[in-house]
Amino acid sequence: MKSEYRLGIDAGGTFTDFVLADKSGKVRLFKALSTPQDPTLAIKNGLALISEELGVPANQIIPNCDLCINGTTVGLNALITHKGAKAGLICTAGHEDSLEIRLGHKEDGYRYDPEYPPATMLVPRYLRRGVQERILSTGEVRTPLNEADVRAACEIFKAEGVETVAISFVWSVLHPEHERRAGEIVREMLPGVVLTLGSELYPQVREYTRTSTAVVNAYLAPIMKRYVTAVDAYFQSLGAKQPVRYYQSNGGLAIGQAMTDRSVYAINSGPASAPAAGQYVCEPFGKKDVITVDMGGTSFDITLTKDGSTNINKNIDFLRYRIGVPMIQVETLGAGGGSIGWIDEMGLMQMGPQSAGSDPGPACYGQGGKLPTVSDANLVMGYLNPDGLVGGRLPLSYQKAHDAVKTNLADPLGLSVERAAYGMFTIVNANMVNGIRRVTVERGYDPRDFVLVGAGGATAAHITALADAIGIDTIVLPKLASGLCAFGQIISDVKYNYMATAPLRLETDAAYARIDELYSQIEAQGIEHLKTDGFKGKDIVVKRSLDMRYVGQVHECTVEIDNFKVDAKSIGKIIDAFHKRHEQLYTYSEPHSVVEVVNIESTVYGVVEKPARMKIGAGASADKAIKGYRDAVFSADGTRVKTPIYDGTPLGAGATIKGPAVIEEVTTTIVVEPGWTARLDESGSYLMTRDKKGTK
Amino acid sequence: MANTAKPKVEVDPITLSVVRGILETTQREMTLSLEKTARSSVFNLAHDYSTALFNATPEMILQGQDIPIHLGSLIPAMKVVAGYFGDDIHEGDLLIHNDPAWGGSHAIDTCFYKPVFWKGRLKYWTVCKGHLTDVGGPVPAGYNPNAKEIYAECLRIPPVKVWDRGQPRKDVLNFILTNMRARRDQEGDFNALIGACQVGERALLAMLEKYGEETVDACIDTLLNMAERQMRALISDVPDGTYEGSAILEDAGHGFGDFEIKAKVTIKADTCHIEISSPPQIPYFINSYEGNSYSGVYLGLMMFAQLPPPYNEGLYRCVSVNMGPKGTICNAAEPAPHMNCTTTPMETLTDAVRLAFEKAVPSKVSASWGHANGLNIAGWDKRHDEEYVTMVLATIISGAGATPSQDGWHACGPECCFGALTSGDVELLEYSYPIIIHRYSLMTDSGGAGKFRGGSGTAWEVEPLNDDMTFITFGEGRRIPAVGAAGAASTMIDTKVGRLELVEGDRQETIRENVIKVIKPGDRITNMNPGGGGYGNPMERPVEKVVWDVKNGLVSLEGAKEDYGVIIKDPTTLDVDIAATNALRAKRAVAAK
Repeated sequence: MKSEYRLGIDAGGTFTDFVLADKSGKVRLFKALSTPQDPTLAIKNGLALISEELGVPANQIIPNCDLCINGTTVGLNALITHKGAKAGLICTAGHEDSLEIRLGHKEDGYRYDPEYPPATMLVPRYLRRGVQERILSTGEVRTPLNEADVRAACEIFKAEGVETVAISFVWSVLHPEHERRAGEIVREMLPGVVLTLGSELYPQVREYTRTSTAVVNAYLAPIMKRYVTAVDAYFQSLGAKQPVRYYQSNGGLAIGQAMTDRSVYAINSGPASAPAAGQYVCEPFGKKDVITVDMGGTSFDITLTKDGSTNINKNIDFLRYRIGVPMIQVETLGAGGGSIGWIDEMGLMQMGPQSAGSDPGPACYGQGGKLPTVSDANLVMGYLNPDGLVGGRLPLSYQKAHDAVKTNLADPLGLSVERAAYGMFTIVNANMVNGIRRVTVERGYDPRDFVLVGAGGATAAHITALADAIGIDTIVLPKLASGLCAFGQIISDVKYNYMATAPLRLETDAAYARIDELYSQIEAQGIEHLKTDGFKGKDIVVKRSLDMRYVGQVHECTVEIDNFKVDAKSIGKIIDAFHKRHEQLYTYSEPHSVVEVVNIESTVYGVVEKPARMKIGAGASADKAIKGYRDAVFSADGTRVKTPIYDGTPLGAGATIKGPAVIEEVTTTIVVEPGWTARLDESGSYLMTRDKKGTK
Repeated sequence: MANTAKPKVEVDPITLSVVRGILETTQREMTLSLEKTARSSVFNLAHDYSTALFNATPEMILQGQDIPIHLGSLIPAMKVVAGYFGDDIHEGDLLIHNDPAWGGSHAIDTCFYKPVFWKGRLKYWTVCKGHLTDVGGPVPAGYNPNAKEIYAECLRIPPVKVWDRGQPRKDVLNFILTNMRARRDQEGDFNALIGACQVGERALLAMLEKYGEETVDACIDTLLNMAERQMRALISDVPDGTYEGSAILEDAGHGFGDFEIKAKVTIKADTCHIEISSPPQIPYFINSYEGNSYSGVYLGLMMFAQLPPPYNEGLYRCVSVNMGPKGTICNAAEPAPHMNCTTTPMETLTDAVRLAFEKAVPSKVSASWGHANGLNIAGWDKRHDEEYVTMVLATIISGAGATPSQDGWHACGPECCFGALTSGDVELLEYSYPIIIHRYSLMTDSGGAGKFRGGSGTAWEVEPLNDDMTFITFGEGRRIPAVGAAGAASTMIDTKVGRLELVEGDRQETIRENVIKVIKPGDRITNMNPGGGGYGNPMERPVEKVVWDVKNGLVSLEGAKEDYGVIIKDPTTLDVDIAATNALRAKRAVAAK
């Protein structure tokens, strides 16, 4: 890194995190309150904090940054609150309602619930205009595009004040010309609107997914455009050397224009940097199979990376909207520090998904919350410091936590407060284990083969117990845990996904040639895109995957392959990889059945130089860092055990702490359960391992 | 039914919650595996399958929340199948079964049962049931409106072992597959069903390993008991008494006229007895054997109970059911033909039970959903030179009933599936079958009128791509609309019911019966599905909601006036004539009294 700094700005629901890495490897974390009404305000406020700390004005810091990176929730918030732009849809006549029919399905879990509402339509029915045109499954044109219909739709959009238009036709992926021509007409008649074409944004089979993806994109595009324009201009005014890069839900960076054209890639960017960060902090330990878990105030996010490749989701419902484009698979559970414990209709204790949030917050915050939360349980059990986090900014009320647990859970269930609190802890951990099964077992992996990386402020209190419950025996817990996602963004690469559709049975040379040709085409596009962004040579990396299935199946499984010419000679490798993946996922394969390819994808990376690593020097040994003792609970019977409390700040590299113990870092509290040992590594992470004959 | 038994081991409430979570996760993993691997679009696109877990008794310890219509019937079916083999169940066995006279639902829903052994003893059953592409018999896809006996419908499979102590019985499997169309898909679907059973087995064994047999047993017993208490508590809230519901099953081409199905619900303290009466069975495919009828009754019960998941058999311990004399439409006896039974007469039976509960608790029970009236298609796919046959689930997606608090969901039915189905992407359907889907849309004026409107039904218009296509219609709901609740009623009926429109060259025909026909490329059929019933007096629906529906084409100008008494004076601005509207609504209110 030639410049002095790299800056990451990650907006969250409550706080915006700022990470400033310098070339010595030092990483500073700052927090400013998020300002959803005017997201750029939080950026200005955060830069003011940084200026204050460094004693230098922002317009002297920013020009010294090689990159400024921004993860934004602007798109996500617009989708959650249904405050996107007024959008219109032009589609094939007869298919105006696929968006509202939603494949005729009501989400599982609400089968008999008479109050569960239908999803809010991002484009109401009267703004979904069908036009005469039809392409067949063979790719041939059955009905040419009726341009008058497109013009009529534009007239309606004009009269209704539509700001953004999506165009999505049936089988447009096999013949994009109709969408393109309709797009030209829209541009001509409605020059001000933002335009999204389904076949460009998501060129894959599945009309509903493509249309829905295009509509979400259209809905968010004007919002993202305004935001990106404002941020870009602000950083330019501060003398930024490079355009700001934005974080995408595919786990990579993008320039502002890409963010506007492909706004749908912005929606879940917050947790998507966890895999990059997880791999980075595991590298000094030679570990490549990583599960990251990030527990905040209201939610718990899980990701998985196996040997450098991260679980990806395509074609999923996100906030009840079908999204096709690849996103890092982030399993999100309603399990955070604020998650509330309650007793359900059957008389069983449940944790979450309701959360006390930050207002009124857990009972122990003393802001009027009366319901018992995970944080209350952790305080009752002696894990958290009643004086609050080391900074002492927020003192916690042990009594209020105790009373909330007693009244709402312990008494009704006939348990002691300690047992009830430990029960809350166990159940929330069990929920997390079931969530982790979704990224592991459901994807054909054994969770026990992975290292668990803790991120987020609340995770560290749970991490050893969680690892015990899954059977994982190695944990990496960075000191930076609470800002790990923001850190992940500044070590990520620029990343774009290019897709094409090729529904082909793998039986003929023509099929192999077609696949090879499509790869060449989309990769040429991707490389071109990166070149204009200044990347060249070895800094451009391409990874390929195919969505494949047995003939007759309709759901594909994604198989990653190396870059080689696809032909009769090499096809065997691809087919074998598919059989293997199928067996891994579903317990069996069918080696004699015909295999087909549906979609192909190339991911192009512009590799960004990484900042220097943090390095912890010699410091205090463990016994010198003991600052006191608390009686903590580590078992279901509620017994309290005298437990040393360590101050993490003075600890030097190599310091080793055996459980039971609590380590208090500035922004997180680490619980080391009995049977576990934590050693502080010079890279700034605790490596925690389960003793061979653990007591648990 | 069994009484509450006290578990041998004291259960701690925390482990109990954890075990329940594992059971739910296990079921979810089975379901997912099935969906992703199956061949038949009825499985993989439409989710017409179900998974469940049983203990050794066998009692259902976890009911997947998949298709309601499969699940009630899995309870009697599992008992019949396990009972048939008695002690002759061994580790590594795998059973298959589809026959309704052996507790099954309809024979095309074929079920695999895998006994799960722990330390040499039978502990659990993992069970997967799915609607196959075809089940043999004279008519592709199983629905034969001309069948007079079950023998003319399908291959009947009583409980049979397809694996014996770990050894696949290839001869038996071959025998079954030889009797079915589309063998490649069928074979793939069998693999998918078996794979899902194995996925479930793997997870259950891991649970026993981790928590110990005694603890897990005690947890499962406790979960059954808790579900029982939950249902008893709900029923205790209903005033003691007997409540009767009745619904009419329309004649859909059998020529025997309409039938009345009645349900008598007797509430006594915390127990509920449901007595069904239906006319004698007929030589037409709408008879329901007892196992299948349980699903219909339990669905009516759940429309009242409205419980969130998870579900297990404990829920039904305080509920007793008398399906009426053997040899009746809802308690059929061999050789009654039955293939249509999961929708017809099932949905009418469910309505009768629901209506009885509506009388018991008028403020709680939602309106009926649109009934299934759908299509099976079959023919030759010239693109790959192979046969195709399938039920088209997209053709049965009807509107949901309105509830006491909101409009019914559009396109979410039919009633027997309650939103669990998915209709499949238009491109995936066109890729899988040689068809062109010209339209898949909501239908104007199809939702039942009410203060809360019923959801819209759907229209599905298709043309064969390049060769003749056979289509078979099934179901009903083409004359009698979905029954509203709390005084809801529609004036415009014809747009609320299902029907099939056929265009052959210049000839047009509306079909309201169950038929088998062949059409050619260039011909088109549009299958229309009914909307859901409304809730409450439609004259009380806020005018602005009616106008919004008109703006969105869900209600026509005529519908606004006829169904809701709202007179829109300007079709462009949608301005309402308030005075005329008030007058019309007042007049309607008087007429209603």
